[in-house]
Amino acid sequence: MSKPILQVSNLTKTFGNLVAVDNVSLQIHKGEIVGLIGPNGAGKTTFFNAITGLGKPDTGQVFFKSANITNLLPHKICKLGMSRTFQVTKAFSNMTVEDAVRVGAYNRHDEKKVDAKVDKIVSFCDLQDIRQWKCDDLGLAPLRRVELARAIATDPDLLLLDEAGAGLTATELVELMTILRRLNGEMSITLCVVEHVMPMVMGLCGRIVVLDSGKLIAEGNPNEISSNQRVIEAYLGERASR
Amino acid sequence: MKPIRLTIKLVWILVGLAIALLIPALLGSSQYNMVLVTTVLLYAVMATAWNIIGGMAGQMDLAATAYLGLGAFTTGTLLIRWNVSPWIGMILGGFVAAGFAAFVGYSLFRFGVTEVWYALSSSALIEVLRVIFLLWEDVGGPVEKFLPFYSWSLYHMRFGSYVPYYYIMLALLLIALFVNYRIAKSKLGYYLIALGENEDAAEVLGVDARACKLKALMIYAFLVGVTGGVYACLYGFIHPNIFSGLKGTEVAILGIVGGMGIIYGPLLATLILVSGREFLRSNLSGQLESLYLAIYAVVLILIVLFRPKGIATLFQDIYENILSRIARGKNVQTNTPSL
Amino acid sequence: MGCIYALIALGLSIIFGVMNIVNFAHGDFVMLSMYFTFWAGTLLGLEGVWTPLLTFPLLFLIGILTYRAIVERTLRQHYVTQIAVTVGLQLFLRAFTQIVWQAQPRALPYSIIQGQFMIGEYQIILSRLISAIVSVIAIVIVYLFLTKTWPGRAIQAASDDLDAAALVGVNYKRTYALAFGLGSALTAIAGGLLMTFQQVDPTMGMRFGLLSWCVLALAGLGSIPGLLISGVIVGGAESLSMALWDPRARSLVVYLIFILVLWVKPRGLFGRK
Repeated sequence: MSKPILQVSNLTKTFGNLVAVDNVSLQIHKGEIVGLIGPNGAGKTTFFNAITGLGKPDTGQVFFKSANITNLLPHKICKLGMSRTFQVTKAFSNMTVEDAVRVGAYNRHDEKKVDAKVDKIVSFCDLQDIRQWKCDDLGLAPLRRVELARAIATDPDLLLLDEAGAGLTATELVELMTILRRLNGEMSITLCVVEHVMPMVMGLCGRIVVLDSGKLIAEGNPNEISSNQRVIEAYLGERASR
Repeated sequence: MKPIRLTIKLVWILVGLAIALLIPALLGSSQYNMVLVTTVLLYAVMATAWNIIGGMAGQMDLAATAYLGLGAFTTGTLLIRWNVSPWIGMILGGFVAAGFAAFVGYSLFRFGVTEVWYALSSSALIEVLRVIFLLWEDVGGPVEKFLPFYSWSLYHMRFGSYVPYYYIMLALLLIALFVNYRIAKSKLGYYLIALGENEDAAEVLGVDARACKLKALMIYAFLVGVTGGVYACLYGFIHPNIFSGLKGTEVAILGIVGGMGIIYGPLLATLILVSGREFLRSNLSGQLESLYLAIYAVVLILIVLFRPKGIATLFQDIYENILSRIARGKNVQTNTPSL
Repeated sequence: MGCIYALIALGLSIIFGVMNIVNFAHGDFVMLSMYFTFWAGTLLGLEGVWTPLLTFPLLFLIGILTYRAIVERTLRQHYVTQIAVTVGLQLFLRAFTQIVWQAQPRALPYSIIQGQFMIGEYQIILSRLISAIVSVIAIVIVYLFLTKTWPGRAIQAASDDLDAAALVGVNYKRTYALAFGLGSALTAIAGGLLMTFQQVDPTMGMRFGLLSWCVLALAGLGSIPGLLISGVIVGGAESLSMALWDPRARSLVVYLIFILVLWVKPRGLFGRK
C-alpha cells in the first residue's frame, strides 16, 4: 500500500486530570473515506483539534504528506493541504456566502484567479441561489454547506469533517453525502469524518475507527464494526439509537 | 455592482467631496469654527485608520494617541533641532509609529495576548509613553516645546490661519479612506474581516492571524503617525500630554459606534458625535460646563445599546429602504434578494 | 496602599472573573464612592471611617442598577460592546462628578485617625495604616462570604461553569446582578478609606481603573490571597518608584509591570485557569 497521507502516532492530549485522547494512532491513505465514531465525550473533536493545530498534543506525532505538522500553526497546516469544518459552525456571520468562500479560495489562488475559483466552488456546492446572502441569514443546512464550501475552496488534499451531519433532515443528509462522494471521487479529496449519524457513516465510509474515552478501541470496515462487541458495549447506555 | 447603484454612490462621493472642499469658504471667517472642523477631521482620520485594525480585524486597539504622539514628537523634534521640514518629518513620524507598532504588535501577538487584555495594555502603553516623554527632558519634558513660529511658511507647515491645515487634514482623510477601500477589496482585507468574524475558522482556512494583524496594525500606526506630524504643526507645540489614554479610547469608540469594518462608518460617527459634542460644548457653557460631556456619554451608551452594529448600519438600512422603494416604483432589479 | 488596591481589584475580579464582563468604569466607581464619602463627611458630618456603612449599600445598589440597565443587555454580544458601554459609563461618571462637585480636588476636612508615628526610622501615617488593616479585614470577610455562604458559593459556581450552576438551581441573572453589585460595592469601602488621606478629583477614575486591572493581571483569576499579595506588590512598586526615582514615574512603573505580566505570565502569578 502507498504511504499514508496522514500518520498519527501515539497522540495524547490531557486537560488537567482528564485524559481526552489516550495514545491514539491512526493512518489515513489517499482517497479513503474514514469515519471516526464514538460515544459523546470520546475525544473525537479534541483529536481533530490536536491534529489541525488548534490544541497542541502533549505527546505523539502527526505527519501529513511526510511533513511533521505536530506543532504547526493552523494556517500553515492549511497551506500544506489539510482543511476542516467545525462541529459548532464557526460562520463569518456578517459576510456574504461568496465572500466566505473567497477567504478560503485565497489560500491557493491570487487576485486574478480567485473569482473563478469562487464561482466553481459555489456551483459545486449548490450555493448559487444564496451566494449574496449574509451567513447570518442562513438556516442550518445551507450554513453547513457554506462551511464545507469554505473548506473545499482551500484546495485541500485531506478534509476533516466534524459532525457535519448533525441536525440535518434525511433529505439534507442525502444531499450532503452526495457532495462528499463527489469530493472524494471527482476532486480526489481524502475525507475523515467524525459522525454520530450512523446512516451517514455506514453509507459513506470505507473504514471506520472507534474511540471511547480517548482510546482507540476498534478499527475496520462497516460490517466488522457494527458487529464488534466492544463497540456495542461502548454505545450501550447512550441515548436513543440513531 | 449594478451600474445604477454605482453611479449613485459616485454621486454621493462627489457631493460629499464638494461640500468638504467648500467648508472653509462657508466657515472660514470664524477661526473657532475652523478649529472645530479641523479637529473633527483629525478624529475622523484616526478613526478611519483605526478601522483597519479595530473594525476589520476586530482587535481592540486603544493606543491611537500613542502613534499620534510618536508622530508628533518625531516631526516636532526634527523640526526644532535640525530644521527638517514637517512634510518630511511627518512621513518619518509615520515610520517611527509603525516601527513602534511592529515592536508592540509582535510581542503581543507572539505572547498570545488577547482581546480584553490587549485593549487594556494598549491603554497602558499610552501612559507609559507619556511618562517617558515627560521625563525625557531633551525631547519632551513638562513644558511645551514650541515649534518655530512663522506666519506663513510652506516649508515649515506653519500658516496664519487654520484653513490650510483643514485641507491637509482633508487630504489625509481621503488617503485614509482610500487605503481602507483598497484593503477591503484585497486579500488582506478579506483575511482581516475573517479574523474579526471568527479567528479560529479563519486560521484553519489558511489565514496567518499574526502576520495579518501585524500588517494592519502597522498601516494604521503609520497613518496616525503621519497625522501626528500635522497635529504638531497645527497646534504649534509638542507636549507629553498628547499621549492621552482617554482620547485613544475615544478613537476606538468612534470606530465601534460608527460600524466596525464599514469604511465610512468611523467618518460618519465622528461627524455626528464629535461635531455634536463640540456644538454642545460651546452652547452649554457656564456652570453646567460638563453637561455636554454627560449628554455625549449618554448618547454613546444609548447608541451602543440599541444599535450595536453601528450608526452606519442604520444609514445603510434607511438607504436600502429608499432605494428599493424607488426601484419598485421603476420596476428595476435591485441586488437584495427578495424574501 | 497596596491593600486598598487589592480591595478594588477584588471587586473587579468578581465582576470579570465570574462573568467575563469588562467594566471599564470600575475605577470610576471608586471615584464616585470617594465623592459620596466626601458628601457624607461634609454634609452629614460623618467620620471618614464610618461612611462606608452608608456608601457600601449605596454603591451596591448603583452596581445592580448599572448591571440591569446597561450591562445585562450586552451579555450576549461581542465583548467589544461591553467595552464601549462601560467606556461610555466612564465618560458619564467623569462628567457627572465634574458637574456636581466641580473640577478642583476635594478632601475631607478632618479625621479622627490623624497623625503619624515612628517605627524605627520609618514614618508611618496612621490613616494609611488603618486603611490597610481595614482593607485586609474587608478582603477576609469577602473571602469568607464567597466560600462559606450560599450566594457567595453561587457566584463562585457561576464563574466555574454556568450550566452546571444553573442545574443546581442558581439563578444566573440574579447571581450576576449580585456579583456586579458586590464588586461595585467593594469600591465603596476602598473609596471611604482613600478619603482619609487623599483628595479626589474627576480624573482619578482612570488611574484606579488601570491599577486594579494591573493587580488583577498580576494575580490571575481565582485566588483571593493572590490578589492581596499582588496588591501589595503593585502598591509597593508604586511607592518605591516614587521615592527612589521620580514622583511622576509611578504610573510608568506600574504599567510596565502590567505589560510585562501580560506578556510573560498571562495567567498571573497565582492564576487558576
